[in-house]
Amino acid sequence: MPSPICLRSLSQLSLDRAANVSITSRTLLAPQTACFSTSAARYAAPPSKRKGMVAPPKRGERTLNVKKGRKAPSADTGKRPAPGDRKAMRKRIVLTNDNALEVSSLKDLDKATALSEKNEGQVRGLPEQVVDALRAVEAFKTTQGWSLFRRPATLMRKETIQLAKLLKEVEDPVDGQQKKTLRRVLSGDRMSGKSTLLLQGLAMAFLRDWVVINLPEAQDITNAHTDYAPLPSSQTQQYTQDTYTATLLSQILKANLKFLEATPVTTNPPLPLPLPAKPTLKHLAELGIANPEASWPVFVALWQELTQPGHPPIMLAIDGLSHIMRNSEYLSADVKPIHAHDLTLIRHFVDHLSGAKPLPNGGIVLAATSQSNAPTSPALDYCVQVAEAMQSHPDNIPHWNPYKNVDQRAMDVLKDLLVPGSGGAKGLDVIRVGGLSKQEARSIMEYYAESGMLRAKVDDGFVSEKWSLAGMGNIGELERVSVRLRI
Amino acid sequence: MARGEFSRSLRAAIECLGTAPRPRREPTIRCAHRSFQPPTSRCISTTASRHAELIGETPEKFTAAPPIDFSKEDGKGKGGGKRLLRTLRVVPASPSYFSAKPTFTDDFINLSALLRKVATLPTIPASEAPKVAWKTIDQYRIMTNEPVKTQRYHKMLHILRRLNCIHPSLMPEEVVQAMQRYKKASQPGDFKPAPGVIDEWGRAKGVGRRKTSSAVAWLVEGEGEALINGKSLAQFFGRLHHRESAIWALKATQRLDKYNVFGLVSGGGPTGQAEALTLAVAKALLVHEPALKPALRRAGCVTRDPRKVERKKPGHVKARKMPTWVKR
Repeated sequence: MPSPICLRSLSQLSLDRAANVSITSRTLLAPQTACFSTSAARYAAPPSKRKGMVAPPKRGERTLNVKKGRKAPSADTGKRPAPGDRKAMRKRIVLTNDNALEVSSLKDLDKATALSEKNEGQVRGLPEQVVDALRAVEAFKTTQGWSLFRRPATLMRKETIQLAKLLKEVEDPVDGQQKKTLRRVLSGDRMSGKSTLLLQGLAMAFLRDWVVINLPEAQDITNAHTDYAPLPSSQTQQYTQDTYTATLLSQILKANLKFLEATPVTTNPPLPLPLPAKPTLKHLAELGIANPEASWPVFVALWQELTQPGHPPIMLAIDGLSHIMRNSEYLSADVKPIHAHDLTLIRHFVDHLSGAKPLPNGGIVLAATSQSNAPTSPALDYCVQVAEAMQSHPDNIPHWNPYKNVDQRAMDVLKDLLVPGSGGAKGLDVIRVGGLSKQEARSIMEYYAESGMLRAKVDDGFVSEKWSLAGMGNIGELERVSVRLRI
Repeated sequence: MARGEFSRSLRAAIECLGTAPRPRREPTIRCAHRSFQPPTSRCISTTASRHAELIGETPEKFTAAPPIDFSKEDGKGKGGGKRLLRTLRVVPASPSYFSAKPTFTDDFINLSALLRKVATLPTIPASEAPKVAWKTIDQYRIMTNEPVKTQRYHKMLHILRRLNCIHPSLMPEEVVQAMQRYKKASQPGDFKPAPGVIDEWGRAKGVGRRKTSSAVAWLVEGEGEALINGKSLAQFFGRLHHRESAIWALKATQRLDKYNVFGLVSGGGPTGQAEALTLAVAKALLVHEPALKPALRRAGCVTRDPRKVERKKPGHVKARKMPTWVKR
């Protein structure tokens, strides 16, 4: 009687070897020459024990370690993440959820209808290119709930329509002569959607083919995590941040690639490095990306180019305004703190926010405040409070508390907020991001329900209950209450 | 009453001595004397007097029979007095006088007789009968000064409850009088709090407390907005659970979108503040809609939770924790 090994070897001779994976793997282990011989298998070295496997304890040996200090037999076999992995995990932006349902009724924003008032109270999806561009300028935040839904979509709320009107005003000014520069500070409660409103503004600007420059997080600029160097030839000492500026240039390039590729350099900027022949703005930006030490002159030159007549309006945005209204974490040569306004990038932004430098082709300067990551900045707080009070109850304006330290430079930048008058006239104003109305809450909750993330009947009672629990329609709380804290 | 009756009957018996003079026996008198002794001596339990102190209830008034003046009655001389003593025999009015619990037995017999008399009157279900707080067994024991057994007292309460179920419009005066003896001094519903008012701005106020927090809430008709200490619900309470308990009274009665709340809370932590608000909002809601009281009670918004942090005691590490036991 043939042994079972022989029979198996015979079966391995079948022609369709590749059909069965397990068979192929076995044949790889046992070389084909040994088909009818069992000696190779018999004399083969015994399979080495797996690493990390611990032999079972001997009989009578104590396996329970209760004494302090004695190490367990295998202390920690878990694999540590590689350096940088944890941060990457923390900063990762997830924009899709394959388990969420596709919402069939969801319409995308497009160029024609992006600024339409008919969108008010509707949930609109963001088109693919806009999502890419927004990702490039780091407009999505990890704390936002994008990873809950199939694809990014936003609620066009009352404040969004207000912002859309501003974009429209910049694009076709009513008087017809001067292009307008509008400056807005977004304020509101915690989780009320300030950063999302900023993102919606950026998305609308992308759709309308504006040039978008976004400083994604003010904290990253001022917290002294990137290199800095004194800027030569500046009357008050200023500091450049070369690496950060180079990164910013690459973000600008990635987000506005179509425009930068198509536009040639018209001026002759004084650069430390030569440009290729027939340069476009893309070449200019790439020069700055490749040579961080030249990034600041390149940024200045790029800005010079962008503000040439005939170019599209500019959307200049920052998130976390209170970080730049105080001293930065950088120190000067004589170990004094550097004011954030002495950093060139911040100075550039702040000049436009204060109205010292207008945008010749028109544009919007947007600055979002934060409530959860905000160092104290009494000047900013006071200015925002006064501007909000002038909008809601002009007869009761708060007064400056004389026991607080005033940061005069921040106050000078924001002094337009203290000027009484309507928002259009004075240029700098506050957009108060409040709670949703019940209709808006209903429409976003219907979107949640259609995505399958909210399993409840969305009726008036349910909506008003969640609306109340969310603190009168605070959208972040509404999402927490209805989607995240589902039991 | 029974004892009063007894003393009365004793007096009556002495009165009738004049008409039918009988020789008087010392032991009877001694017996009567014994019954006039301070109440503690008659109690089985020695703690009864402390009960009396605690509850503050005085036993029924006990009038002693007047002493028998033999000199007045026996006009016929000493021999007549002796004869009188021999013929004197006090017959207690209560047949149960010589039992251990004469008053209770009398009460029980009286009530049973009363029930037999009024048994044919129409009744209402027990749930609809007027709410009565009957005396507790301890209060009854102090009142009668007798060692009444719990089970027997409950049997009597059974009769009383049955009597209470007689249709109120046909309730005989006699029964009302009889029941009066077994009722507590204060009955539920005696003290009615002043009804809340809705002021000229349409606000109703409610006050609530829990742990060390106290809350005042004003309720106006609106569409479900809530402001606590000038902040929105989400700003004031980080936890969803606390937000829900703060407006639980409105949520449980489906009134969340019909009223606006504004509250002032102080003291304690988030949980105490939220639950103090529950009570405050419920009370304010009851001013607007008093008929919601049963629904709110079912939702647990009416009763104040009396639990507080237990005090630390000397010799303990905490309220109850004892120091670790150490050998020697």
